[in-house]
Amino acid sequence: MGAVTADRLRKTVLVVLGLAWLAPVYLMIVNAAKTNDQYGVLSVWSPAGLGGLWENAVAAWTRGDLSAGMASTGLYAVAAPAIAVVVGAAAGFAIVALRLRHGFAWFVVIFASTVFPMQMLLMPLFLGYVETGLYDTRTGMILVYTVISVPFAAFVMRNFFAGVAHQVFEAAVMDGASTWRIFWRIYLPMAGPALVAIFILQATLIWNDLLLGLTLTQSAETRPVMTALSALQSTYGGSTMPTVLAGGLIVSVPTVVLFLLAQRAFTRGLALGQY
Amino acid sequence: MTATVAPPRRPTSATRPARRPRPTYRWSARGFALPAVLVVALLLYLPFVWTSYLSLTEYNGLGDPELVGLAKYSEMLTDAGFLNSLLNTVYWVVGTLVLPVGLGLLVAVLAYGLKGSFWYRLPFLLPYAISGVAVGVIWTFVLQTGGALDEALALLGVTDPPRWLLDAPLNTFVMIGAATWQGAGVNALLFTIGLQSIPREPLEAARLDGASGWTMFRTMTWPMLTPLTTVVVGLSIVGSLKQFDIIWAMTKGGPGVSSETLALTMYKETFVNNDYGLGAAVAVFLTVVTVAASVLYLRRQLSGAKEL
Amino acid sequence: MKRTRILAGATAASLALGLAACSSADDGGGEGGDATLGFYTDKAAWEPSFDAMNEVSGAEGKTLDFTGYSDTTAYDSFIKQSFRTKKVPDLFTWHTGPSLGELVDQNLVAETTDLWTQAEADGLVPEGLKDNYTYGGKQYCVPLNVAYWAVYYNKKVFADHGIEVPTTFEELMAAAEKLKAADVTPFHQMNIIFEFAWFQALLAGNAPDTYQGLQTGDASYLDPEVVEVMDQWKQMIDDGYYNDPGVTTDPQTLLKNGDVAMAYFGTFLSGQLTEVGAKSGEDYGIFPMPSMNPASGGQMVLETGPLCVGKGSENEQAALDYSAWWMSDEAQKTWSDERGEVSFNPHVKVDDPEQQKLVDAATSDDTTVQQRYLEANPLPVYTLSTEIFGDFVTNAPDPMPGLQRLQGEADTYWADQG
Repeated sequence: MGAVTADRLRKTVLVVLGLAWLAPVYLMIVNAAKTNDQYGVLSVWSPAGLGGLWENAVAAWTRGDLSAGMASTGLYAVAAPAIAVVVGAAAGFAIVALRLRHGFAWFVVIFASTVFPMQMLLMPLFLGYVETGLYDTRTGMILVYTVISVPFAAFVMRNFFAGVAHQVFEAAVMDGASTWRIFWRIYLPMAGPALVAIFILQATLIWNDLLLGLTLTQSAETRPVMTALSALQSTYGGSTMPTVLAGGLIVSVPTVVLFLLAQRAFTRGLALGQY
Repeated sequence: MTATVAPPRRPTSATRPARRPRPTYRWSARGFALPAVLVVALLLYLPFVWTSYLSLTEYNGLGDPELVGLAKYSEMLTDAGFLNSLLNTVYWVVGTLVLPVGLGLLVAVLAYGLKGSFWYRLPFLLPYAISGVAVGVIWTFVLQTGGALDEALALLGVTDPPRWLLDAPLNTFVMIGAATWQGAGVNALLFTIGLQSIPREPLEAARLDGASGWTMFRTMTWPMLTPLTTVVVGLSIVGSLKQFDIIWAMTKGGPGVSSETLALTMYKETFVNNDYGLGAAVAVFLTVVTVAASVLYLRRQLSGAKEL
Repeated sequence: MKRTRILAGATAASLALGLAACSSADDGGGEGGDATLGFYTDKAAWEPSFDAMNEVSGAEGKTLDFTGYSDTTAYDSFIKQSFRTKKVPDLFTWHTGPSLGELVDQNLVAETTDLWTQAEADGLVPEGLKDNYTYGGKQYCVPLNVAYWAVYYNKKVFADHGIEVPTTFEELMAAAEKLKAADVTPFHQMNIIFEFAWFQALLAGNAPDTYQGLQTGDASYLDPEVVEVMDQWKQMIDDGYYNDPGVTTDPQTLLKNGDVAMAYFGTFLSGQLTEVGAKSGEDYGIFPMPSMNPASGGQMVLETGPLCVGKGSENEQAALDYSAWWMSDEAQKTWSDERGEVSFNPHVKVDDPEQQKLVDAATSDDTTVQQRYLEANPLPVYTLSTEIFGDFVTNAPDPMPGLQRLQGEADTYWADQG
């Protein structure tokens, strides 16, 4: 059967490409497990067992004091994208379903803000944050992370809703539903997979953010984990590469787990996607 | 904000008659859009206004900025390195549209509908989950002289591999490769969402009509993917123009300035050279180019959908 | 939370107060008492060392609340901007040279002249170090640390190839030739961050006056002494004396594994070598860089990083007291032991004979102490040099166009200053 051959071909291509994609990940794990005596002596491709991994991970964890930032980062990476997804979806809903006047212009206004180079916004944000007392607060961090996630959320949701027939909206109106209700009960649930995807992508982005965390926080209670991880790699007295990699590995575990958990949400979302 | 809410132009009833929703939704629509507009205005636009102001000044980060008119812009345009940065930036935009977007689409389409498709896509998503610090280290392993790639090539009999990160424009191309590794999975995920939102019935009908895979993709799937293609392409343009992390981690724009892009120039002028005015001028230029590029693209792509 | 709690013994506290009082001439009263000082640094990896310092200084009621940055450029702009806010840092690390000059010009750092006078009287600082901290005849900040730039070498590689520690430039070149012939890369260099290193080493040794003249605009990058140095450097690159700049494995690993035989670095490399398990005196040794021109005498580049007090900061007086304490024997002994690095305080012997040799050499009569190229030169010239030298290390082009560009930038800078 043609379909079976085609499926086999598709799988082969995906597996080959996928293995190429995993090669750097392999390098990361293998080298994160090397002891100082092995690193730089053995080829980067050669595995040296996983013996050193635990040791390096512990070194990164304690020397880098990674535990301190985990809680804050976790909070930011959950709260901010959750809020952003709803705010962005609301904007998409307003533009597409409610046909906001000059919707395209408003959409461009929101979207164009992703264009600003973040490095240049840091200093004014810092000044503003100090002025308003948001500097070095968790509220401030959630706020700023929400804001950087909103344009992406609005973009994806606007386009997702654009694919929804307007009759869905009109039918709901016929039933006498308020716009609020239509948004929460019909449009949001329908957008399951898109919402999950946005949430995960933005949560990962926030989890891995270094710039904003570095600039807008100062105390151990508010600083995200990346500031600690990057310290391991600094020019003066940084740690060895295996330790840096082991640190990178530990810090990446939650995001990888998130992707794996999302797998269920995706299959569930798939059914909901078929409206 | 208030400026655009200004006098509502009366829609000519001839062109769009009953399609406008009843006016009761006008306020409701504004209410739904308000939070998004408000937060980006306060936290992204306002700081950018400050940056734009700095681009008209001479400022070293201390004391007060001193207005110098457009001097920083002419300095930027006459700088020897500017064209080089611009060219590298163009490489990034084109390269990013071809590689991460193309591969993302390929992976999404190939995996879609397969049993366990999530697991086929997972290897491509993993790099996105890995922290930037580690990504920089891994790719240094891969691309440094005598690194993982050279070793692999040696097995294939290539004994004199190119100097990946040292020679331009090769260093830019291989870094686009690294960006592809990191970004293709996200694009694949977005395309997958697009594929999921395509109704099955027309596809089934076409399949029954005996349409081949490629014809079906070209005539049915691809057109229906447009909303998400727009997202992916739009984000890629913006992302590639702003690309900073990978270059900073791997070459810092070097050797010399050979792999510098506009984003790097902006950063170096501002924070390394303490010429905040010049850095801000590059930032404004970069922003204007990016907005223009994306609006041109989006208007074409979204104008149809706008009147849905 | 991370701050170490200390049970301050009454004796220790009163001793400390005595020390603090005598070192701050204008005692502003109670202000300088117990305090937690907001402390910012770009040396984020040093947090454990500062924690250890807190254990000692805590006995005197002063501890640092540490905030570390890993990216120096981001850090610099953060500090500068913080002076626009009410969050002026109590204490922060900075760079000597024009960067500190800028802060002084803007009246942002507290003067430390009295602290220096006292420290000199007590013999806590070596001669000449003060110059790095002097602007318009007054002193600002105190030295956080010092590092001497010298040649680290792999002892096993030297022994295997029967090489003695070179004392002249000729011997150094002979050693390089011998190593090269035996297929060992003689020297380490990199095309980012420390791309200026060999320019500094060669020029300071070839023509110390020209090296200094570049910093003041009195010498030119087109002077024959500079061209000589570039030709020499190019020859060494062309002869394969350096590792391929595409190899970006960290220098401590390359040196420890014998992938390079020698690396010209600041003594901060010692800590990094310890980190990878290399032992001073066993696995590696250090010797002063021999001068390219023997007539120059010994030349030792000294790098020093300042510890500064933000003017008008919340705990200004306490921060000044802390600065005074920082130079003391007690503080410096702790610091040197903790970091395994040389201290600027002559009373403190570093627990590493290899580094102590450098200190002895630097303080000997026939050796001139020079500033590091990075801090000593005007920022725009240094910035351009990263591009020119980065390219030079990578491709070893004809040096003249690069030197001309550097001189052009220097001309512009000095014309603006005039």
